[in-house]
Amino acid sequence: MTAGKLSPSAIQDAPRRSMVRRRLREGDLLLRLVALVVTAGALAVIALMMFDSVRTAWPVFQNFGIIGFLTGQEWAPAFTVYGAWPFLYGTVLTGAIALIIAVPISVLIALMVTEILPPRIGQPVAIVVDLLAAVPSVVWGLWGLLVLVPVIRPFERDVAHSLGQVIPFLGPPTPGPSYFAAGLIIAMMIIPIVAAVTREVFASTPRLQREAVLALGGTRWDVVRSVVLPIGRTGLVAAILLGLGRAIGETIAVTMVVGNNPLVGGSIFSPGYTLASVIANEFNEATEPLHPEALIALGVVLLGLAIVVNGAGLIVRRRFERSAGRGR
Amino acid sequence: MAVEYLALLKPTSRARRFQANLIVFLAAVATLLAFVPLAAVAGYLVSQGAGVINLDFFTQDPPGDLSATGGGIRNAIAGTFEMAGLATVIAAPIGILIAIFNAEVGGRIGAAVRFFIDVLAALPSIVVGIFVYTLVVVAQGHFSGFAGSLALAIIMLPVIVISTEEMFRLLPRPIREGTRALGLTRWRTYLSVFIPTALSGIFTGLLLAISRAVGETAPLIFTSLGNNFFSTDMSEPMQALPLLIYRNALNSAYPAARDRAMGAALTLVAIVLLFNLLGRWLVASRRPGGRAGR
Amino acid sequence: MVTATDTGLVARPAAEAARSDKALSPDAVVLRLRNVDAYYGSRRVVRGISLDIARNAITAIIGPSGSGKSTLLRCIDRMHEVVPHARATGLLEYRGIDLYDRRIDPAAVRRSIGMVFQQPNPFPTMSIFDNVAAPARFNGLIKGHGAAADVVEKCLKKAALWDEVKDKLRQSGTSLSGGQQQRLCIARALAMAPDVLLMDEPCSALDPVATLQIEQLMVELKASYTILIVTHNMQQAARVSDRTAFLTMGEDGAGYLVEEGPTGRIFTQPSEQLTEDYISGRFG
Repeated sequence: MTAGKLSPSAIQDAPRRSMVRRRLREGDLLLRLVALVVTAGALAVIALMMFDSVRTAWPVFQNFGIIGFLTGQEWAPAFTVYGAWPFLYGTVLTGAIALIIAVPISVLIALMVTEILPPRIGQPVAIVVDLLAAVPSVVWGLWGLLVLVPVIRPFERDVAHSLGQVIPFLGPPTPGPSYFAAGLIIAMMIIPIVAAVTREVFASTPRLQREAVLALGGTRWDVVRSVVLPIGRTGLVAAILLGLGRAIGETIAVTMVVGNNPLVGGSIFSPGYTLASVIANEFNEATEPLHPEALIALGVVLLGLAIVVNGAGLIVRRRFERSAGRGR
Repeated sequence: MAVEYLALLKPTSRARRFQANLIVFLAAVATLLAFVPLAAVAGYLVSQGAGVINLDFFTQDPPGDLSATGGGIRNAIAGTFEMAGLATVIAAPIGILIAIFNAEVGGRIGAAVRFFIDVLAALPSIVVGIFVYTLVVVAQGHFSGFAGSLALAIIMLPVIVISTEEMFRLLPRPIREGTRALGLTRWRTYLSVFIPTALSGIFTGLLLAISRAVGETAPLIFTSLGNNFFSTDMSEPMQALPLLIYRNALNSAYPAARDRAMGAALTLVAIVLLFNLLGRWLVASRRPGGRAGR
Repeated sequence: MVTATDTGLVARPAAEAARSDKALSPDAVVLRLRNVDAYYGSRRVVRGISLDIARNAITAIIGPSGSGKSTLLRCIDRMHEVVPHARATGLLEYRGIDLYDRRIDPAAVRRSIGMVFQQPNPFPTMSIFDNVAAPARFNGLIKGHGAAADVVEKCLKKAALWDEVKDKLRQSGTSLSGGQQQRLCIARALAMAPDVLLMDEPCSALDPVATLQIEQLMVELKASYTILIVTHNMQQAARVSDRTAFLTMGEDGAGYLVEEGPTGRIFTQPSEQLTEDYISGRFG
């Protein structure tokens, strides 16, 4: 169907156009109305769910105070004491470890695909990296639990007994499941998204700028250093934020390798807990008073964190795309 | 020649050549590093799980006691497909309509909706589980396959909206504008023209959404809960592959549970990959309007 | 950097020699092209170009669009091959060195043969100072801030931009007007101490005043550099260049050299009918 193919009968129907126009408006209206109702309805239902969750968790916040709950270091359902701090700490720590591992690797992969490899090889490589994201969390957890943790335990022990003697943060104990193991698994899961966003960022470097560097006798590394990275700075921030947003939400894989210890561990090799994993672990056995509500409260905290981090990432990304469009 | 070359051209210093090569080396290492976990997981699953899989594995339900050998994962496979199916039925029309809404109503409102959807796409799936728990499970008083489907539907929704919107945007302009010239109502336009043309893309979005939903565990833990028996009753708790893997993995000290988890994991990854690759292949082979479309 | 003056030959008569109709003497030639073809994949876009470029002179390459002028230019500093599947064949000699020899690093070629693009492209994330200094810095030609400041001042002066920007060197390179940005790019190219300067329609994105400034600049620069300019503006070629080469697209879709010679002769007494037609506006 192209604009050029007006049928003769359509032209001859001109006198009836006023009737068609009315029907047209009604048809348009119907579509718009249905779309509006459905959209508003869907969003309203989701908003309702959020609100309901907050309402359910409210007694907990009332009891301990919002700040009190967030900074409370004790989690003891048996004594009806609930504090979110150990889980906040674990979420942030595992997220940071994951970023430290994943971001350099993702940036290098993005450079590989956009700057170094010819497109014919780069495309399949990009797809394989994206496939990492298709592996379900529970499968990562299974492999992590049975393969990764035993494999890295000697490494953990070595570090703990060498560097760890000087830096307690890197020290013993090293039972295996730990913040570090969780961070490592999360890193594998967020590499696809960080690499994908960074890839887009690098690919949007204007050709004119690249050629400017080359024409001045620059090497590939000069192009990256002078043009690709500086121009892509903002986009890179977006990629990191979005990666972090994904990291804090990982649940099942984390709960299988993090050690499930509701205390703030002293080193990265200590067993710990994250917001998501404690909810998954304790929810179905939460019989103590306020226990389910407290877990839902943790969920609300996680929700808030996810909205802030991902929202920021999306906003920064949009800002980058707009400036990239202008820069050409 | 060599002497003049050095005098007249300024060769790249050894240090800079080393820098440039170093970057290539590091990037290659990083890329390989990313492949290693993928290969490791794939290899591990195949080596540990392949032996477990046989016809019985797919046609029998698991034993009541996880540590007992024998039985299969029939109820989990069935439950996964049942819940994913219902989730698709719920999410697909809503997702497409939201995409239409965004395409028709641009400006601030459309952008706001799009932002909300983007944030929804990034939400932790366990939070979605909590949502459905507080609204549905508590209200109904029990866990159910329906609640699980709803949770999966919420997870699938953003994926469908985003890919459908993308498809609409990729529609060739002659098609988009030609329908107006013909005096078609928007309604008819979408039904008869846009959606059929963008169908392969919409389908891809659905497949990718399904491949994601099928792998989710966290939202099901407190919505559909899990079930040791085969069930087609959506109002009862329902088993799903990820749940079965999870429970068996936590008991992996027992060899029987371990084997079951392996076989189930291999099955799950195969299903996820199937949908994922199918979706990608669909995108690659048919773009709207053909290659000359734009 | 080796300039013409260093080779012991005096610079000034070079331009005059270029403008004469006599064949260029071997030591007046800085670039020799013999049978140069350029391809995008399997499609040939430039065919059989044989040309001598005179040093310390301005040579203009003119012709209708699609005649491969820019492509030819980009072959000279090996920028053509940057595009995937693009390649060039034939002999391209720079002061006796085969630039396409396998042993030669394209980046090295580009440090002796600089290029100014049609669209001014200062680095957006760098200040004016850094724009001029950076390329020379990362090529190791200058070390330390003192030396950099010297080079920046010298080059901005050579590009006739110094007075206008000397008080705002720290401002972003993109805060300048189009003509200023283009002169900034010229200054940046000069910081590499090249021997030859390639200019690909440098004024087409500029207003007439800026165009005139650039043209004046070119005439000043030819005393120290060899300039090769691609332009679709015949009047500009006539105004500015010492020699002119006319390219047009052949029936096979590839550009070829119709004729080449001193600018005065080409524009008043062209040997080829095609040249005459183009110059009198009958096509292109």
